[in-house]
Amino acid sequence: MIKLVPLPRRSPLHRRLDGLGAEWSFQGDAEVARHFGDPEGERTAAGRLALVDLSALPRGGYKGPAAIGWLAGLGALIGPEHNRAYPQADGSLIAKLAPTEAFILGPADGPADLLAAWEGAWNAEAADGAWPMPRRDSHCWFFLAGEAAPAMFAKLCAVDLRERAFPLHAVAQTSVARTNAILVSGEIGGHRGAHLLADSASADYLFGVFLDAMDEFDGRPAGLAAIGALG
Amino acid sequence: MSGTRLAAPFGSLIDRTRPLHFRFGARTLSGFAGDSAASALVGAGISVLSRSFKYHRPRGLFSMTAADANSLIAAGAEPNAFAEHVPLTEGASFRGQNYAGSLERDRFALMGLFGRFLPPGFYYRAFYRPAGAWKFWEPKIRAFAGLGTVDTNGPHGYFDKAYGWCEVAVVGAGPAGLAAALAAAEDGAEVILIDRNPVIGGSMRQRRGGVGAEPLERNGKAGTIHVMTGAHCLGLYDDNWLAVGQGKRLHKIRAGRVVVATGAEEQPLVFRNNDRPGIMTADTVSRLIRLYGVLPGRRAVVVTANDQGYGVALDLVEAGAVVAAIADLRLAPDDGPFRREARAAGIELLDGWTAYEGHGRARLGVVTLAGVTGRGRVDDSRRRVDCDLLAVSVAQVPRLHLLCHRGMRPVHDGSGHSFASGELPEGVGLAGAAAGRYSLDAATRDGLAVGAAARQAVAGGAAPEPERPAPDGALFNHPWPIFPHPRGKEFVDLDEDLTIADIRNTIAEGWRHAELVKRFSTVGMGPSQGRHSALATQRLIAEATGQTLDAVGATTWRPPALPEKFGLLAGRGFEPVRRTAMHDRHVEAGAVLMPAGLWLRPAHYGGSGDAAGAIAREAANVRGNVGLIDVSTLGKLEIRGADAAAFLERVYTFAYAKQPVGKSRYVLMTDRLGIIVDDGVACRMADNHFYVTATTGGVDGVYREMLRLNAEWRMRVDIANVTAAWAAINLAGPNSRRVLERVADGLDLSPAGFPYLAVREGHVAGIPCRLLRVGFVGELGYEIHCPSGLGETLWDALVEAGREEGIAPFGVEAQRLLRLEKGHIIVGQDTDGTTNPLEADMAWAIARKKDFFVGKHAIGLRSRAGLTRKLVGFRLPAGESRVPKECHLVIRDGQVAGRVTSAARSASLGHVIGLAYVPAEHAAPGVPFDIRVDQGAMLRAEVVPLPFYDPDNERQDS
Repeated sequence: MIKLVPLPRRSPLHRRLDGLGAEWSFQGDAEVARHFGDPEGERTAAGRLALVDLSALPRGGYKGPAAIGWLAGLGALIGPEHNRAYPQADGSLIAKLAPTEAFILGPADGPADLLAAWEGAWNAEAADGAWPMPRRDSHCWFFLAGEAAPAMFAKLCAVDLRERAFPLHAVAQTSVARTNAILVSGEIGGHRGAHLLADSASADYLFGVFLDAMDEFDGRPAGLAAIGALG
Repeated sequence: MSGTRLAAPFGSLIDRTRPLHFRFGARTLSGFAGDSAASALVGAGISVLSRSFKYHRPRGLFSMTAADANSLIAAGAEPNAFAEHVPLTEGASFRGQNYAGSLERDRFALMGLFGRFLPPGFYYRAFYRPAGAWKFWEPKIRAFAGLGTVDTNGPHGYFDKAYGWCEVAVVGAGPAGLAAALAAAEDGAEVILIDRNPVIGGSMRQRRGGVGAEPLERNGKAGTIHVMTGAHCLGLYDDNWLAVGQGKRLHKIRAGRVVVATGAEEQPLVFRNNDRPGIMTADTVSRLIRLYGVLPGRRAVVVTANDQGYGVALDLVEAGAVVAAIADLRLAPDDGPFRREARAAGIELLDGWTAYEGHGRARLGVVTLAGVTGRGRVDDSRRRVDCDLLAVSVAQVPRLHLLCHRGMRPVHDGSGHSFASGELPEGVGLAGAAAGRYSLDAATRDGLAVGAAARQAVAGGAAPEPERPAPDGALFNHPWPIFPHPRGKEFVDLDEDLTIADIRNTIAEGWRHAELVKRFSTVGMGPSQGRHSALATQRLIAEATGQTLDAVGATTWRPPALPEKFGLLAGRGFEPVRRTAMHDRHVEAGAVLMPAGLWLRPAHYGGSGDAAGAIAREAANVRGNVGLIDVSTLGKLEIRGADAAAFLERVYTFAYAKQPVGKSRYVLMTDRLGIIVDDGVACRMADNHFYVTATTGGVDGVYREMLRLNAEWRMRVDIANVTAAWAAINLAGPNSRRVLERVADGLDLSPAGFPYLAVREGHVAGIPCRLLRVGFVGELGYEIHCPSGLGETLWDALVEAGREEGIAPFGVEAQRLLRLEKGHIIVGQDTDGTTNPLEADMAWAIARKKDFFVGKHAIGLRSRAGLTRKLVGFRLPAGESRVPKECHLVIRDGQVAGRVTSAARSASLGHVIGLAYVPAEHAAPGVPFDIRVDQGAMLRAEVVPLPFYDPDNERQDS
């Protein structure tokens, strides 16, 4: 019998990022683009507009009538409002999409301890009505940062992502360039921006759309190091 | 008329240190940075910009507000560009439009001689009989009449769209708009100020008595005001949604409140030959002089009905022109400040006079003035005055188009002698000249009041009725600036070449309603959309029909408010494309990709130039060896909860309540009419958990329908669409078990341990998978589902594991052939919008004993009514090489009796086989029928039992 060891988790855009000169490093089981060439220039550019692919990183979710209660019972910090994200102790973020659904983003700059713990705690009997969702595979994950990000998004999405309309930890379930998307206002390494979660099969399409839309603002892809996610 | 460039302070928009060169037809001319094409052309001495629509009369700059077709030119590859909206650039190339020969000597100008034979609607009568005549005449007429020509070889432009948001949007940055924006933003409200001109300020910049540019710019940038210049508000829709074109971008702006401060349109004076180049609105003269430093004529006559016209005369004098006379339509004009100044300057003032006839061919040379005696009447007194410029300031019409988009009906303003707004839409304010406050002072104060009201409204407080200045239209607008001439050619609509006689003739034909006059005569249907013609037409209808002006009313102005480019509407469309996790592997293997819904799938691999050969090889490898196909595009749904089985019982036709855990079962979905809408497989993963597949193109609809149904049924079930989360590979062929055994971790793959239709969870090559024993292609096979992020890894592992057997990927086309041999239908290909399960010979998939499933009642009715058609398998005679195509017709007794849905040449069976709908009474095996194929050839086919291949299922069950 041939026994193959699965490769590390990679982004659906791995080849495309590789073609853009990505330098890779590991964060847990995820192979992520650290930067693209000039780290210092990339950091500077990230203040203006940067697209960071976080698709390889851990994320998860639970859905069902008991989902929120089950997570809260395990110590997750979740408030009463939905369409809002709740930061967790390990840096992960729980986006409460509905009274019955949570989308969990692991921390971009460290191990996803809570996510792993909750996954380990789940079983069908104990968590009846709280079913896991394969968010690491169903959704690609981008983080768009920089002062021009709202203006760039305005070309793709009808939701106003400026601070006054979309404050930190706001969540919007909307359409971006005709693709269903979840937008979460967040912060990584002091960089304010928006997490974008969308159909993983559309990752390549969306990446192209973003590059096109960012061109006007001289935006470009950036590695995790550019937003301080890798220290 | 020859152009004259003026020295500063005239020309506030141009930079004389930056000359620019451009071409107009064959001529090379020059202007300055800041010029528009219009100002540069007039500044370079160009009088004739275009030829008119019907009579090909020479036309020059009339307004600079995109309100008439006179200034439409070809700018590079772009036809029908308003010259006043085209910024001059170095090396720009412009052309006139709608002429044969040259712009100056247009052969089609002979059409003018036949004007009396070309009344409105002439072509309805002359060219539509006998039947079919229009097809002959249309191209010939279109060669004469029309505007620009699309350059199909022109470069592609990049157009895109953007959303915008604000609390208050102010349309128009003239005195009222600026004041409104400043007032609205006073407490920090977010304001977008939209103006189509290159700079804000509007009439304040060019009107005598206005202010300089600097304070406007400072104010415009104040606080939270976002200024959009060169931006055309094209439409105002419900919920204050504004469409704004700016350059190559369409902005879609959502505003809490909207203030419309779009100003007013200066109207033509209707008199004989009022379209001669050199006749223009007084506002245009002011713009040319003050904004662009262009003197449009050396010897001018001003005809006016307000003090503002005197101001323009003074501007002309200051700029160095001779003003031969000022004719005032009013018999006893008020002695306004500019009039007094003009008198003091020694300009001849003619009270109670009008322009009555223009003279000159390609440009104005003389104007005949006549004494006014009453409404539209003149006496016999005449004055012929040499001039190359006639500035007209007799009336204005508020620009109310945007309000009309939201349902406002304009009314006649009796005291202001113009149109006025009817009831305003919710959330919209109207200010300035657009609201009948024409003077700079009144417009400004009005803007402040309306802007403040908008501010209070967005703040949520009670908005008191603003204290507004009184309308002052009576001071600006003459009640009847229309003077018929016995010899005609008094143009009411410059765009459409319509004269007073044309409007009167239309009314005489019996078209008495304004909307009908518009449709029959085409008045107001040109690019100006009635901006210059609506008021005069209203008056002519009222006069001819004896109706009041109120009763005549106005026609409806619809979006767009200004002509918009198709690029703005079409630009930067988004067309999502989905890729499976193995996409790159397919490309590397030479796949020819085809769309499947939003997905890209391999149709076949390699075989460039010999697709049929590639498909046959792939199919043969599955039949005789082992192949693998990426089926990740299959829809995948998780149905979880205590009522999961009960839910499936209601959604699908088959039975699931007693389905064992670890087994899969076919699912067939029908709608309430019993029509097949989707199919797939339901895998019972646990008592309260089903993993259900759906068709690639149907899953989104199935998911949506499930959510809808459960919202209605309120069952204890959660539905999740996890299509993208799972990659899937179908490993098929007699050697598939051997290949899988090499990488399956601890799974019992024996026929007994993992029988047909069983479902297992386990690891393949270390990857957690769901494995389904299914047989879509009719061979021993395994559908292996894994997390999509590891799909490529799984693919690689299976390819490696099967290397010894010669495993090869196969594409969608081979799969279609293989499933056809097995007699499996494809929903959407072998079914249509009326196919029920009985017609598709799928009664076996209906659990009749169930109390309910969606479509059960309808299927029962259809069953009792009897079938009219049936889907059958057919075979062509051995040796027949022609293959029918989908939708080739089944012919019986010379009549259409059905159609082919699938057909292919089967190497395994040695025949061309297929599926077709035939009459139910002729669906028995052995019945022959004919198929009409390409070129009308007829093929004899025979109904055969299904499946064609492996009827005892020995291979897939092995």
